[in-house]
Amino acid sequence: MIKNVLSDIGGVGLYGVISVCLFFIVFSGALIWTLLQRRTLMNEMGGLPLNDGETPKFNEGESRHE
Amino acid sequence: MKTETFRYDNRIVRAFAIATMVWGIVGMSAGLLAAVQLFWPEANLSLQFVTFGRLRPLHTNAVIFAFVGNGMFMGVYYSLQRLCKARMFSDALSWINFWGWNAIIVAAALTLPLGFTTSKEYAELEWPIDLAITLIWVAFAVNLFGTIAKRREKHLYVAIWFYIATAVTVAVLHIVNSLEVPAGAFKSYSIYAGVQDALVQWWYGHNAVAFFLTTPFLGLMYYFLPKAANRPVFSYRLSIIHFWALIFLYIWAGPHHLLYTALPDWAQSLGMVFSVMLVAPSWGGMLNGLLTLRGAWDKVRQDPVLKFMVVAVTAYGMATLEGPMLSIKSVNSLSHYTDWTIAHVHTGALGWNGFIIFSMLYWLVPRLWRTPLYSLKLANWHFWLGLLGIMFYAIPMYWAGVTQGLMWKQFTPDGFLQYPNFLETVMQIVPMYRLRAIGGTLFLVGTIVGVYNLVRTMRSGVFEPDTEAQAVVQAEASGAAEHGHRWIESKPALFTLLATVAILIGGAVEIIPMFLIRSNVPTISSVKPYTPLEVLGRDLYIREGCVGCHSQMIRPFRSETERYGEYSKSGEYVFDHPFLWGSKRTGPDLQREGGRYPDAWHYNHMEDPRSVSPGSIMPPYPWLYTQTLDTNALPARIAALRKVGVPYPPGFENGEAQKQLAAQAAKIVVNLRVGSITNAAPNAEIIGLIAYLQRLGTDIKSAPAAADAGDGSVPVAALNPNPVR
Ligand code: HEC
Repeated sequence: MIKNVLSDIGGVGLYGVISVCLFFIVFSGALIWTLLQRRTLMNEMGGLPLNDGETPKFNEGESRHE
Repeated sequence: MKTETFRYDNRIVRAFAIATMVWGIVGMSAGLLAAVQLFWPEANLSLQFVTFGRLRPLHTNAVIFAFVGNGMFMGVYYSLQRLCKARMFSDALSWINFWGWNAIIVAAALTLPLGFTTSKEYAELEWPIDLAITLIWVAFAVNLFGTIAKRREKHLYVAIWFYIATAVTVAVLHIVNSLEVPAGAFKSYSIYAGVQDALVQWWYGHNAVAFFLTTPFLGLMYYFLPKAANRPVFSYRLSIIHFWALIFLYIWAGPHHLLYTALPDWAQSLGMVFSVMLVAPSWGGMLNGLLTLRGAWDKVRQDPVLKFMVVAVTAYGMATLEGPMLSIKSVNSLSHYTDWTIAHVHTGALGWNGFIIFSMLYWLVPRLWRTPLYSLKLANWHFWLGLLGIMFYAIPMYWAGVTQGLMWKQFTPDGFLQYPNFLETVMQIVPMYRLRAIGGTLFLVGTIVGVYNLVRTMRSGVFEPDTEAQAVVQAEASGAAEHGHRWIESKPALFTLLATVAILIGGAVEIIPMFLIRSNVPTISSVKPYTPLEVLGRDLYIREGCVGCHSQMIRPFRSETERYGEYSKSGEYVFDHPFLWGSKRTGPDLQREGGRYPDAWHYNHMEDPRSVSPGSIMPPYPWLYTQTLDTNALPARIAALRKVGVPYPPGFENGEAQKQLAAQAAKIVVNLRVGSITNAAPNAEIIGLIAYLQRLGTDIKSAPAAADAGDGSVPVAALNPNPVR
């Protein structure tokens, strides 16, 4: 039954194919692009959260518990 | 090179932090009350406002948009400023975001108990609030992009990509799914009907999970996890791949909520394939998070921030393995409509979202108030109570889901349903409902302990409203040196465009064919618009949230056609604005309810379900017998329905509709008298509801022509005329 709903839509199988192809293109693109990046740059990027520019506080040591 | 000094805004972070703590307790308490009502219906105190059907959307909205939403803003406002080395673009917009968002939540907390709801899951709020959400979301997006534009850090860290995808996609989802025609101040009808409404709704529903509960929190994970572990993320490359694969796959996966329904097969298959593929990027992200902690596990044992984070990331991994599994059709045929789904979402909500928010709170509060955490011991209590709570929640729900799913499908050797009485399968799992409430209690108590601990920490410290920071001002012209990803990643506009295109393609390929190709929904000539009385009855069904416990979608399995009758056809729903397929069967499917029982049965059942179904956990609805039908609203509703495409003749609402309504009501009163109910008022709400229930699923029974409906359906004569329940 559900399948019959489809039978009168021309080329509906194409939607699935289009979407998988699109995904494949985007995914491969992202993959290649990422792999091409320089290691130093990747390391620099990865370190961004650790450098937030906050002015060091005098009482840093005693006021933090970690 | 010049160095600039500036200040991060901590006040806005504090505001969202307090809001998330308050709403967390509210939302979880609402959930607990709803859970208790499932084994003890009297827990609604006979108040219509907190009866299960109205309480459930209140719980989901409070938890998703209030608790998790404020938690998300808290983390985004903190991390974005620091990653951009800039204060938020506009303090005014920050506060509009905060007060606007929380006003929307208060509006939700008032309107949902009053029964103002669209009934579309996680999009229940009525149209004026929908408009407000759009405005506030735009304020957030402008603030986000403004901050990115004025940043002092050239590179965009991957967390910001996740934030951008969130801002853009949620806007698109919300607008497309909320297109509705008002029929009064707090009433509207979806412009979509039936199958199309279902597809749009679950495209939205699924991606709300993806882009509200997942992507922003992955961004936050990529920020707070390295922060707390004091080391960079395991693989920055992997995080980029994680991002692109995730947003591009997620957007297609929505139809996995509609497997084996009247949704066309190609859309179902698409949803299934992409859902299964999703496991790869999700696990890539989880491993990336966990591997960041390699060599730091001793820290994890001590630091509550990392402890909560590790469980959160693990829960993310579990939920994203389970999700694709549930999208496989054969698994879904068992799990759908059962408590398995409930277990799945709570692994995500309690484990992933809940624990990551607590992790952020334990990290932020001591820093913003510049003082050590009040008590490490209490934090540990919170952790274990929370973890135990999740276990006690999820395991009974898995048990209940699988048990009930199997019972529904069980046949005797002679080919009859083993458990023809639906209620029997409910009573079997009621003990699991009790255990689940214990799990919920543990989690809630843990949350209260955590909030107490955090408040004590705040009390003992001094809040720092702004944090001073310095950054080197970037020289503008370094163009020649830029290439590849730097070029894209330093151009947020281009990046946003690409991300938007990615999600729009997904949505468009999925949804547009449904609208363009009429034959997707074959018409069944005997399916007619609802009568005026049925329209009002249907609106009561929506108001009371019956859809939270009852589906109206019979899947094409013998176990379902035996129990409920002929399976559902997409053509049967063409006048259903909104669709009411439901996603959970706490009670039986009602698609073929019409004509199953006499009017008097419903009259007695709705007043006190246990009088006719001993042991039922359906709540009684005594107020439907004292409140009168809102016939004054009829003209506006008919007119609005006509606008969305229901072919009521012109001028129908002026007089003719009321006349028909009165006649149908009078007939029901006569029927009730036959059932020895003599005191029924023809204008009581229950009359409208009975009219609607008696109409359900009868259209295709009434016409032999439906046999050739063009959808290849089984001739009506071949239907099982008297399915057991
Ligand atoms: C808490 C979940 C819950 C809610 C909310 C709920 N029901 Fe039920 N309902 C049940 C359960 C469980 C049963 C099966 C036992 C029984 O007959 O009472 C049931 C049975 C029914 C039946 C009988 C079905 C049959 O064919 O035997 C009807 C009709 C019904 N409900 C209508 C409604 C309507 C209308 C509403 C909203 C006003 C509603 N229910 C709200 C749980 C619920």
